[in-house]
Amino acid sequence: MDRATRRRFRDGDPDAVRAIYREYGRLVFAVAVRALGDRGLAEEVTQQTFVKAWRAAASVDESREIGPWLAAIARRTAIDFYRRESLRTGAPLESVAADDPAVVTAPASAEALYETWEVRQAVGELPDDEREIVRLQHFEGMTHGQIAAQLGVAVGTVKSRSFRAHRRLATALGHLRE
Amino acid sequence: MTASDDERIAYLAGEDVPSLSAEEAAELDALRAELGVAAVWDEPPASLEDQVVRAVTEAAAAERASHATMAAEPGAAAPAQPAPAEGAPSWWGRLRARLALHRPALALGLPVVAAAAVAIVLVTSSNGGPHELQFAMVVQGTPLAPGAHGSATLTKKVSGWEIKLNATGLPRREGQQFYQAWLKNAAGVLVPVGTFNDARNVTLWSGVPVTKFRSLSVTQQVANGNPKSSGRRVLTGTIR
Repeated sequence: MDRATRRRFRDGDPDAVRAIYREYGRLVFAVAVRALGDRGLAEEVTQQTFVKAWRAAASVDESREIGPWLAAIARRTAIDFYRRESLRTGAPLESVAADDPAVVTAPASAEALYETWEVRQAVGELPDDEREIVRLQHFEGMTHGQIAAQLGVAVGTVKSRSFRAHRRLATALGHLRE
Repeated sequence: MTASDDERIAYLAGEDVPSLSAEEAAELDALRAELGVAAVWDEPPASLEDQVVRAVTEAAAAERASHATMAAEPGAAAPAQPAPAEGAPSWWGRLRARLALHRPALALGLPVVAAAAVAIVLVTSSNGGPHELQFAMVVQGTPLAPGAHGSATLTKKVSGWEIKLNATGLPRREGQQFYQAWLKNAAGVLVPVGTFNDARNVTLWSGVPVTKFRSLSVTQQVANGNPKSSGRRVLTGTIR
């Protein structure tokens, strides 16, 4: 993110706002979904995060990495939003269906939200074919054989792409020693 | 003996790796669990981009209009940005600038959320005599140490910030193995604040302000010449 774009973001330039959203919007949204468990609320928190970031932009050192700073704002905004929503009066818990989106358990910790940002960023940097394999494996819970059948490729191809993808993830997320 | 990188990657990719220690497996299981979280894969709707741009540009336009209104009010001072007093700490300079910016708003009766926080800081520093600014936090275990928990108090002293940590559920580490505590700021900068063997009744010291470095973490470390954090966090806590 070049300094000129960051400066224009501070000035509220729509093109600069759009550029920064395209760079970090998915990560902010991921943190909000993780915190709130609801896409609709996560959209609202994402908007609030970028408005707060714009308001605070004048005080940020231009040489500082914008990602971690924006991640911190996203976490705080999501947690604050969760707390406000939790304090709203409403129907007794017993009268609400267990899968009602308004029924949430304790919020994810700030540490967990930080992890979500980091993992989402690392996943986003994978090539499309590798990212899809990681998604099918971990999120969909599919085996290599099932993934191969779904994608129409050999099992060996799935295994090699999976190994490359996980090497990239482990490197990006600091899980390798050498 | 620790597993090789290829073995760790293979485990992460779903292979069975008997040579992996329980500790290493737990660390990688935590990452595997994170990769299964829906939020990591959820895509925002395409319309959200325009919504965000609109929200920010409207806020910017509203602020410009507000400044223009205040400047047009007879007798109202233009938002001033006084230079910080010579020799004063930079945070004091920013505080004075913020007060001056909001003075016209206060005169017009407009709400200024920052005013309450400003008042608290001023009262504390103007009372004279020794004052101990103090924070407290709950510290929680991580997937590597799910049973660990405790608390920490952080007190401003002349020498710096004294951090008293009291946590249970962590096994003692000795010899080449130890625990290390870190503070982290919003930008992700890590500062070491002390090493220890047992997390019950530990006194740590920080030379950076906990008001900026608000996240505390404790990691498992090995005396192998590498001063960096191992990343194997066992306790975390944050000043909110």
